[in-house]
Amino acid sequence: MKVDANAFGRNARKALLDKTLQEALGRTTGRFQANRDVAAAAFPDFEATRERASRIKLDVLDHLETYLPRFIEEAEKRGAIVHVARDAAQAREIAARIARDEGVTLAVKSKSMAAEEVSFNEAMQGAGVTVVESDLGEFIIQLAGEAPSHIIAPAVHKTREQISILFERHLKEPRTDSIPELVGMARKHLRAKFLSAGMGVSGGNFLVADTGSVVLVTNEGNGRMGTVLPRVHLAVVGIEKVIPRMADLPTFLRLLPRSASGQTISSYVSIVTGTRRAGDPEGPERMHILLLDCGRSAILEGKYREILKCVRCAACLNACPVYQSVGGHAYGWVYSGPIGAVLTPLMVGLPEAAALPDASTLCGACANVCPVKIPLPDFLLELRSDAREQGLKTPGEIAAMKGYAGVMSKAGLLEAIERIGGVLGQFFTKGKGISGLPYPFSGWTERRDFPAPAAQPFRKRWKIRRGVTR
Amino acid sequence: MNERESLFRRLSTACAGRGASAGEPPTVATPIATEGDPVAQFAQTFAAAGGFLLRGPVEAALSDLGEMLRAEGVTALFFPEDDAAAREVAEALVPFGPFILTTGAEVRGGSAAVTAGFRTAEAAIAETGSIVETSACGNTLLPGLIADVHVSIVRTAVVVARMEEALAAFTADPPRNISFLSGPSKTGDIEQTLTVGAHGPKKAIALLLPPKRAEQE
Repeated sequence: MKVDANAFGRNARKALLDKTLQEALGRTTGRFQANRDVAAAAFPDFEATRERASRIKLDVLDHLETYLPRFIEEAEKRGAIVHVARDAAQAREIAARIARDEGVTLAVKSKSMAAEEVSFNEAMQGAGVTVVESDLGEFIIQLAGEAPSHIIAPAVHKTREQISILFERHLKEPRTDSIPELVGMARKHLRAKFLSAGMGVSGGNFLVADTGSVVLVTNEGNGRMGTVLPRVHLAVVGIEKVIPRMADLPTFLRLLPRSASGQTISSYVSIVTGTRRAGDPEGPERMHILLLDCGRSAILEGKYREILKCVRCAACLNACPVYQSVGGHAYGWVYSGPIGAVLTPLMVGLPEAAALPDASTLCGACANVCPVKIPLPDFLLELRSDAREQGLKTPGEIAAMKGYAGVMSKAGLLEAIERIGGVLGQFFTKGKGISGLPYPFSGWTERRDFPAPAAQPFRKRWKIRRGVTR
Repeated sequence: MNERESLFRRLSTACAGRGASAGEPPTVATPIATEGDPVAQFAQTFAAAGGFLLRGPVEAALSDLGEMLRAEGVTALFFPEDDAAAREVAEALVPFGPFILTTGAEVRGGSAAVTAGFRTAEAAIAETGSIVETSACGNTLLPGLIADVHVSIVRTAVVVARMEEALAAFTADPPRNISFLSGPSKTGDIEQTLTVGAHGPKKAIALLLPPKRAEQE
């Protein structure tokens, strides 16, 4: 996927003016967040489970050089063919080769961020394979020729009317404003694809090292269908998705659905291991697992390694005030929200995405909800300082920050400036607020009035309020 | 050096000095509370996941089950060839129809009928309200996969409290497919409105039966 992360400012502005998107975001992120909070509160062991999951993931990161080979060995023992790709180009090459060698012309795909990362569908097109997205949201987005805007709800920005128009055009279905009817149309259309496709493509939520299993968590059942019906199964998964033991899986299954959508468990958990066994009436004859490095081993070596604990639940997106306002497309690559603001610069290079770590208020809501306790705000701050060190900040920005630091670290100076600002501000605005500041401060007053500076310095008002008079 | 060895080398560098050996399970306990009787808890969690629970004996449940299937427009029933309990329920239901009996192969071949798939559950999980179905011993997965309505036959003896117990049998050499099925197939992808029947069954029914007489003795 093309990286457009440094255009965050421009894209965010566009998103803020998009009425449909704003309505959709208001409807979704709030509900996801509320459901997540209810589910977490209703589960007394939530905190202990988070801690446990975080420690398991840390152990995996510390010993990935042991766990990953173990996973590969166990998976191959049970008939899977494991491939390793260093980067996106290599992943596409391998995927295209698999499709050609297996003689596949139609593939049904369930949602996979990893596949999105390497522009998997382009590789399939090149190999003459038609890829049909089977996750309903992804299917809609594919018909519209767009990129997904949310990890777990890719079509949040489409209304039922827009979807019905797409279905009329592409599926020759009559117009309707009934959501169950729209779902039924997609079901009928996609069922035929599942029954005729030569290959099912999936991601993988977890890779179990001690059994070589790939675990898929879905609500629609498309992941299950695509890994049972077609002749070939291809799983595209990042190397960091390994967990040590099957016995660790329940810990993560208790966290992922609760954090993502507030469900106790998703409708379908599929644990698939190797190819169909002798005597099995269903299941693929061939299973390929394509493991992606794509920058992960480099991240593992550095100070941001804990970002690889991520289980892609999207709780941090829903909790983020910036994401809530601008949605996913503004982030300009596969991953959005706080996780995207950290992961994208690390995967595509900071110069390509230096705008993203700034796309945060550092409020900490993301860290509060992260089921594996990734210190997202610390990483965002650290990336900002890396950007400065790498010369990615403008001289004006650096000077402004230096000046700000100089004032904020001297109480007397700050108070003096507040006094002057207060007098001038009250004089010019008559206490009503500032409606237009000159560049480079104009952004602050573009959509709202900036409050007039208080007549008295903060510290003085604080003392008065607490009953201390000078 | 091939790509796999080269990756292992990069990982060795990245993991160097991170402690000698891969860890034991973390010591943080997760005492997932088991709330009394697992069967009673399963009845509650299965309903919370959107499933419909009927209690046996079979004869007592047939009329309700027939009515639920008719309400979904079901016209054809299928079950695994070698699943005696599923066969018994499906065959007993025919007079409550109009239902005809069909096969998984026929449904997979693209039959246009609205179908109900019957299958005996290998386990059920009280904690999550899940039905466990696997491909172990050559079992078919079609009834819970491609049917419009899924009817699980759940013996009370197979209900376990937690996911760990359901997975314990498979830690050594798992079958190709282990599935936890929790309620009907759902999607919220259009306007975040919860809608059933995205790909899998639109309705999930569990028929809870006491242990077979032979097991009781």
